[in-house]
Amino acid sequence: MTEKQYLLGTDEQQQWMREYTFAPRGNGFKEPGVLGMDAKEFSAFNVAKSFYQVHPEVFNLKLVAEKTGVAESEIAARLKRMIDRRLIMFVKNSSVSALGFGLYYWIVKMKKDCPPQAKAQLAEWIQNKDEICTGYLTEGDFDFFCGNHMRVLDNLLCGVIEPIRRNRWVESIHLCPIRRDVRESHVNLWDAPKADYRRYLWSDAQKTNFLNSQNEMDATDFAIIDILNNVTSIEDFFDYEVLGQLSGLDPAAMKKDLGWIVDHQRYVVPMFYFNYQALGLNMHCYLIRLFQNVTSCRKEQIVDELSQYPEFNNIFEFSDGIYDILVSAYAQLTDLDALRTMLDGYAEIEEVWEADSPRQFRRWTARLDKDADMWEECIFTDDFLQDRTSWPIEPAGEWQEKGGEER
Amino acid sequence: MKTNAIRGYVVDRLQYALNPSSVAVIGASRCPGKVGHKVIDGLQKWGYQGKIYPVNPRAEKVAGLKAYPTLREIEEPVDLAFIAVPAHLVKSILEDCVAKEVKIVVIATSAFKEIGRGELQDELTEYCRANELPLIGPNLVGMGSPALNFNCGFIPYLPTLGPVAMISQSGANLLAALGTSQKDHYGMSFFVGLGNKADVDFSEFIAYAGKDDNTKCIAVYMEGLDSPEAFIEACQSVAKPVVAIKVGRSPIGVKAAFAHTASENVRDDAYYDEVFAQAGALRATTWQEFLDVSLALGTQPALRGENVVMITNGGGSGLLSCDHFDRCGLPLKELKEISPSLAGRIRAYMPMFGSPLNPVDISGTASPTQYKGAFMQAMRDPAVDGILGSICPTAVTNVDAVVDVVIEVHDRYRRLGKPFIMECQGGEECQRAIMKLRDHGIPAYPTAEQAVNAMVALYRYGQMQKK
Repeated sequence: MTEKQYLLGTDEQQQWMREYTFAPRGNGFKEPGVLGMDAKEFSAFNVAKSFYQVHPEVFNLKLVAEKTGVAESEIAARLKRMIDRRLIMFVKNSSVSALGFGLYYWIVKMKKDCPPQAKAQLAEWIQNKDEICTGYLTEGDFDFFCGNHMRVLDNLLCGVIEPIRRNRWVESIHLCPIRRDVRESHVNLWDAPKADYRRYLWSDAQKTNFLNSQNEMDATDFAIIDILNNVTSIEDFFDYEVLGQLSGLDPAAMKKDLGWIVDHQRYVVPMFYFNYQALGLNMHCYLIRLFQNVTSCRKEQIVDELSQYPEFNNIFEFSDGIYDILVSAYAQLTDLDALRTMLDGYAEIEEVWEADSPRQFRRWTARLDKDADMWEECIFTDDFLQDRTSWPIEPAGEWQEKGGEER
Repeated sequence: MKTNAIRGYVVDRLQYALNPSSVAVIGASRCPGKVGHKVIDGLQKWGYQGKIYPVNPRAEKVAGLKAYPTLREIEEPVDLAFIAVPAHLVKSILEDCVAKEVKIVVIATSAFKEIGRGELQDELTEYCRANELPLIGPNLVGMGSPALNFNCGFIPYLPTLGPVAMISQSGANLLAALGTSQKDHYGMSFFVGLGNKADVDFSEFIAYAGKDDNTKCIAVYMEGLDSPEAFIEACQSVAKPVVAIKVGRSPIGVKAAFAHTASENVRDDAYYDEVFAQAGALRATTWQEFLDVSLALGTQPALRGENVVMITNGGGSGLLSCDHFDRCGLPLKELKEISPSLAGRIRAYMPMFGSPLNPVDISGTASPTQYKGAFMQAMRDPAVDGILGSICPTAVTNVDAVVDVVIEVHDRYRRLGKPFIMECQGGEECQRAIMKLRDHGIPAYPTAEQAVNAMVALYRYGQMQKK
């Protein structure tokens, strides 16, 4: 019997749901159509990622110059300054479900009497824990919001969740398995409504407030990032001739390959990350719990409706967890009361917890802690082909019981 | 890429790959688990005395050293540029190397010709050749010089210092040799991985080794030989033995060699026999033989004639040896054929139930005094060309004392130019004996066949010298 491929980015991809009544579940990196990060099809991204810190001309400066009227040399200089000041980072998001992973976030709440140093100790553990690809320090109704893409849930439970749970100052830790990754860093991802894929969103009021509230980025800087992050096709993101000159690879092939992966297959999205912590901003999170009798269909509609708000820089939908949705917006730039009022207008919402994040530890494996000179150091955190359940357990801060080394 | 002849500028620059005053590591990582960090870590850990310049556009420091965004921004001269970054970065970095007037460049990066990027590899090679910038690699693990505590690459071992220059296309096999060097005291003068050998070829490292005072034997592991003329020229030009092992002779091996180091083997294996014969290089068949033979050739003189005397306290080891000598085409002669009076003189050092045939069995009760007497008689006899000694410990054998005897006899009669090889078959005390003997320049092995192979190689090298 010939194995069916259900090839990503083709009509075959949709055939699955006609033949099976359950959703496909991936097998790490082996899904039809998925390519490893070192495949030639990723060359344009990889070349740009390797060179952009020194050669910002890897990006499509010509397009930006046409739209802004600013000389390409000045655009390059502005990009270089923003990169050197670590206000932005060129990154990518991957659709880990297509790649064969579950994406699990979790919420940690510390006890009321938790001393600041105990929370700081746990924060440093999370910062340095290579089994966590993304994490936020928060202050408010909860204290940490972190995540990782995992092939085996047990690996996450043993390596990360259990050590945190055993911290004597932790009141609760709740898993939030991602059902839809709709938006991150202002960029709509594969789980956004299809017509909105790869849109880069800020509200007009946020832009105005941002430009009036700090001196690191001006309107031209903002426009450079806005234009590049908003290109309709990824083929317009880069200057492929420059990529070719730097690497010796074929510019046309690089352009075509990346276009196929990003525009057509839609399982990876390159973008500029906006480093809110370097700009003195707090990311205000709304952790939403729906009533459990809300249908899944309605839940999807609510998330789609929330995705129409450009104020949210992140939008995650969870499944199989206590919580259902997390959205966030910058505290200093946004009318938070209006957003809360909007959320309270949904009768399906049972409760909303709020917290401010002044610090992000990592972003999709890229470390953000510039103070430790680890900025942009990327550690692959996934567990493909690994059994971490037998690894020695590593205490996360101060433990509440002895004998924790045994599993 | 093919080289028709040894290139002088390349040979002159190879000193900067093995004894650089400064090394720039492009792709130096802050993360201790990453390859780019291991290179710096290895340089520091093993005690490299030159300057180290990490290059990483994202880091301010790596391993406590100031990091540079690019090679061009290093203020001081750079002898060696070690590249450990993805393939798509290499072209730009080579341009930086030329602009910076780097002396030599090493590309550890994989994913070139071996995965179908032959055109890119050739373009980079041509660029380096046009600028007379020798390029070692790509797709390799590194290189080093134990005498200088220089270990540059992803290499967990620094070998013991010794006479063999190890030139290997395979990183894994190079690492295996380095591990063996540490574990079994197989001494090296320098080592280098060549990987895809896009530019710098075997021939140029052989020529360099020929001029290197620390090198007494040149060992070459090859998966493909695309410049046979240069190889022959190099081997013929050096007054040192060359031992080569050439893999990729089976049909599947041909494919595996291409997938590994982009080595193309379009000729059948007999062709390489002819090339090695013409070059005057000894061809080893197995990895163990390759190591054993090169150790012997690095430490002992050539065997000038066929008169080998084997002295053992174990008849079984003697039988294994004489059968293997026979299989190798160098049958042992009876002692009386070699020297009519030698048997009588050696008899004084064995019990009445010993055998002065050849192998000379001085019996399981042999004392250090008896070993010494037998060795000295054989060594001093002008008709004897070489000696193979064997220790097979019994309850009464004082292995340590016999080892001291061997070292004494070897050192005393080194001037006679006769090879002296030892076999020590047994347990831990034999392993210690082998280590001690090797540390004193005496090739010693744990099995009879290994010791015989070593002696036969010395004979073959002696015959080649006579031509």
